[in-house]
Amino acid sequence: MKPEWKAWAQEAKNEFPRANSALMPLMHRIQLSEGWLSNETIRDVAELMELPVQYVESVASFYSLFHRQAVGKRVIHVCVGLSCALKGSDELMHALEERLGIKEGQTTEDGAYTLLEAECLAACDKAPMVQVNLRYEGPVRPEDAERLLSEEVPS
Amino acid sequence: MIRLTIDGQEVTVPQGTMIVDAAAKLGVDVPIYCYHQALGPLGACRMCLVEVEKMPKLATACTTAVSEGMVVRTSGPAVDKGRRGVLEFLLINHPLDCPVCDKGGECFLQDYTFEYGPGGGRFQEPKIEKVKDGPINPFVLIDQERCVLCQRCVRFMREYVGEEQLLLEGRGVETVVTTVEHEPATSQFTGNVIDLCPVGALLSAPYHHKGRPWNIEREESVCPHCPVGCTSKITAREGHVIRMEGRPIPDREWGWLCDRGRFGYDFGYHPDRLATSIVKGKENTAAQATRQVAEWLKTVVDQEGGRGVGFIIGGGHTTEEAYQLRRFAAEVIGTDQLAISRTEAGYLPRGLNGTFDDVKQADTVVLLGSDPYDTVPVVHLKLRDRLLHYPALRVIGLGPLPLTRDTLPGLDVLVPPGQESLALALAMAAQWPQNSDVQTLVGSLKEFELQGVTAQTLVQLGQYLQGAEHLVLLWDGKEPEMAMVLGVLARLREKPTAVLPTFGPANWRGYEHAGFSPRFEDLTAVLEKARDGEIKILMVFGADLLREYPNRQLVESAFNQVEYLVVEGILPPQGAQHVDALLPGAAWAEVYGTYINMEARLQVAMAGVQPPGQARPIKTYVNTWARMLMKPLNWDEEWDPFDDDSGDLLPFEPVPDHVVALAMPPEAVGPMTLVTGAFIWESGQPSEILVPRVPQFPGRINPAEVKDMGLSTKRGHIMVSQGSESIVVAVTADPQVPKGILWVPQGLFGTNHLIEGTVTISGVTEEVTV
Ligand code: SF4
Ligand code: SF4
Ligand code: FES
Ligand code: FES
Repeated sequence: MKPEWKAWAQEAKNEFPRANSALMPLMHRIQLSEGWLSNETIRDVAELMELPVQYVESVASFYSLFHRQAVGKRVIHVCVGLSCALKGSDELMHALEERLGIKEGQTTEDGAYTLLEAECLAACDKAPMVQVNLRYEGPVRPEDAERLLSEEVPS
Repeated sequence: MIRLTIDGQEVTVPQGTMIVDAAAKLGVDVPIYCYHQALGPLGACRMCLVEVEKMPKLATACTTAVSEGMVVRTSGPAVDKGRRGVLEFLLINHPLDCPVCDKGGECFLQDYTFEYGPGGGRFQEPKIEKVKDGPINPFVLIDQERCVLCQRCVRFMREYVGEEQLLLEGRGVETVVTTVEHEPATSQFTGNVIDLCPVGALLSAPYHHKGRPWNIEREESVCPHCPVGCTSKITAREGHVIRMEGRPIPDREWGWLCDRGRFGYDFGYHPDRLATSIVKGKENTAAQATRQVAEWLKTVVDQEGGRGVGFIIGGGHTTEEAYQLRRFAAEVIGTDQLAISRTEAGYLPRGLNGTFDDVKQADTVVLLGSDPYDTVPVVHLKLRDRLLHYPALRVIGLGPLPLTRDTLPGLDVLVPPGQESLALALAMAAQWPQNSDVQTLVGSLKEFELQGVTAQTLVQLGQYLQGAEHLVLLWDGKEPEMAMVLGVLARLREKPTAVLPTFGPANWRGYEHAGFSPRFEDLTAVLEKARDGEIKILMVFGADLLREYPNRQLVESAFNQVEYLVVEGILPPQGAQHVDALLPGAAWAEVYGTYINMEARLQVAMAGVQPPGQARPIKTYVNTWARMLMKPLNWDEEWDPFDDDSGDLLPFEPVPDHVVALAMPPEAVGPMTLVTGAFIWESGQPSEILVPRVPQFPGRINPAEVKDMGLSTKRGHIMVSQGSESIVVAVTADPQVPKGILWVPQGLFGTNHLIEGTVTISGVTEEVTV
């Protein structure tokens, strides 16, 4: 457990008096600094929030934006929702997979990229669209894959 | 009370009742998955849709409380359509692998689909694949594809048991039931989720692919392993018991079992099971062995009279068998030396014996030396149930070790071993100083100071004892004086005071009812007479005395001295070399009979399988002997252990009110005291199935003591010595255990080579890492 987590937990609790409500902001904050939530982190969070580990694990696994495995510096979500699919998200995904040498759900060996799919991100007008570290970009055509990967991304 | 109409029938139910339960009262069955009375409403599965007049949409019968004048319809086009829809959804990703599913034929998903479901689904897309037969632990498997996400299992473990070991992981169609961090679930109660799961998702690993409803037989039974006597059902196939399930009894039992009971059914076909008679070390025919024993009996009775024969009963015999044996002993042999194999010295008078109904009403529970989780597990669940209904439940542990737990929190009063009755009496003296019985009790304790317990604590304990509206005490039976103290307490309180004895053997009340003496003194007397040559032939039925009796030396000398030692049992006892005739007996599930549990409640268990080989019930043995001794027994009048006036409880008997002064305890002479106690994994018959779960280092000792011995590990072996005797005990360092105490399960590691009390300890091995 990082020393500052206690204070963060307190802040979250001040804002949301009920532990199960305060849980999410705390996990977001910890993930922002750690990149992901390990089993150990989950146990620490449970302790800080005085909740059962079982409960925290259920919440963390419910939301796909909580990472339960280590992720790369850049997390790319490719939207595979209907509009994006019609506009070629499949090809885009393949192109990215090829460039990065990994499959969807994996992280490159150097820890630079993680490639994930997402359901409709409510930006169908930009289809096919992606998120890079949660920042929306689109349309990204399959042939733009290279460009996407070379872009500077504010983390 | 609320009046409403369901399917045209009127019914009156208490306010707050859910529609499903009101319907059940009328015998109207509403299909359910997620709802369970013990767990309360959730509303997750939508299977229970019904039509309620004036409600715009179908309502879930499990979450809708009744109201005055409500009109409910549990069938009709709207309801049928709703149910069809729910089932179609539930089956979208279901693998439809009923032909290879253990639950096939006893599955609510099958049944309801058959009754209410659509003929086929409209969903054409590939089904989501998930884990099949993944482990929850060595006994419970999960098929995540078949799960309907009703959450019964998760809620049972989390809310009811209080051990949060199962969870829902993920979201939407990806959601699965799994264990925390994917580690095996360790709770004592995991097997119950198999019974709770309405579909074929949670399965019993030892029953996996072993049978289906049409090739098995099920019989009502009672778990034989501990004095709780949980109501159960056995499943038999081809002469073997292959499963045990809980058997709910409306308004009384939920049908919970602990894992020890649920999965420990295989002792009947244990590799060491006795199926042949052994006389003087040689296998023999049943006829010859019985004749030989009859001849010995005849010789002894001719020379010494009936008093030359002693009978000791134990193990898992039924009350009827004990009765048959008692009649043989009394009428054919003419002896009254009939004892029960006891491990503790205490005896509880019938008049103090409470029932589980008392637990349902308790506001205060005192644990006298007994941690129910480890000794009588399902009582722990019953206390959890009470705690859920009555969160103010006060739990007090009184013993040398802490007895409360996270799941059953309370106050622990730690006293030196053997001084629980003193502590209780002193607390009573603080509260009722004027009472003459109390004054008598503590009359010789003027100089005595209870170590580690402040006067304040005693005063508080006294107040709790008096203040309790409904007091339940669980008693481990170790201190015989306790019964007297409890008797005084019950008289003083004038409010319900119920004691539940947690000691074994499981059916000791049954043996008592059949005419055997339950008193430890009488058992000791029989053994002493055998040692002193007064008893020439010792007939032991079901008991393993060298393991069970707390003073092994006495048993050994008795065995050495008697002319004939005849032992009947289902597994070879310790010290088989002493035994002149070893007779294979019939086990639980092989004979029909009555067991009497810790409530003094009579419960019937049916036979489901045949005894193997030469094994036979007691009645067969005693009949043969009686004929050979020319005094055939007459069984014309069936004995019925049930008494017409007291129903399924033993008739009440007044509590003796004789009170004497409690003696000063002996001074402790050394820094380390040996304490033994019942441990569920060691109670009852051994099971091969349970081997992976039985703790390998069950002894418990404070970590500081382990360190003092130079062992830096959490677990290890230690040498425990007393006088010239030494044993080796596998221990776990446990910070809960106070310094100066070594706790060892009864019957393990040859603990009865030593007498409970001062011992010396030293390390044996280094470094056994966890
Ligand atoms: S495993 Fe069974 S009990 Fe548990 S949620 Fe699934 S269907 Fe319900
Ligand atoms: S609590 Fe005792 S009787 Fe009940 S299932 Fe467990 S071992 Fe059997
Ligand atoms: S489908 Fe991709 S943003 Fe809506
Ligand atoms: S039983 Fe009513 S919603 Fe599940």
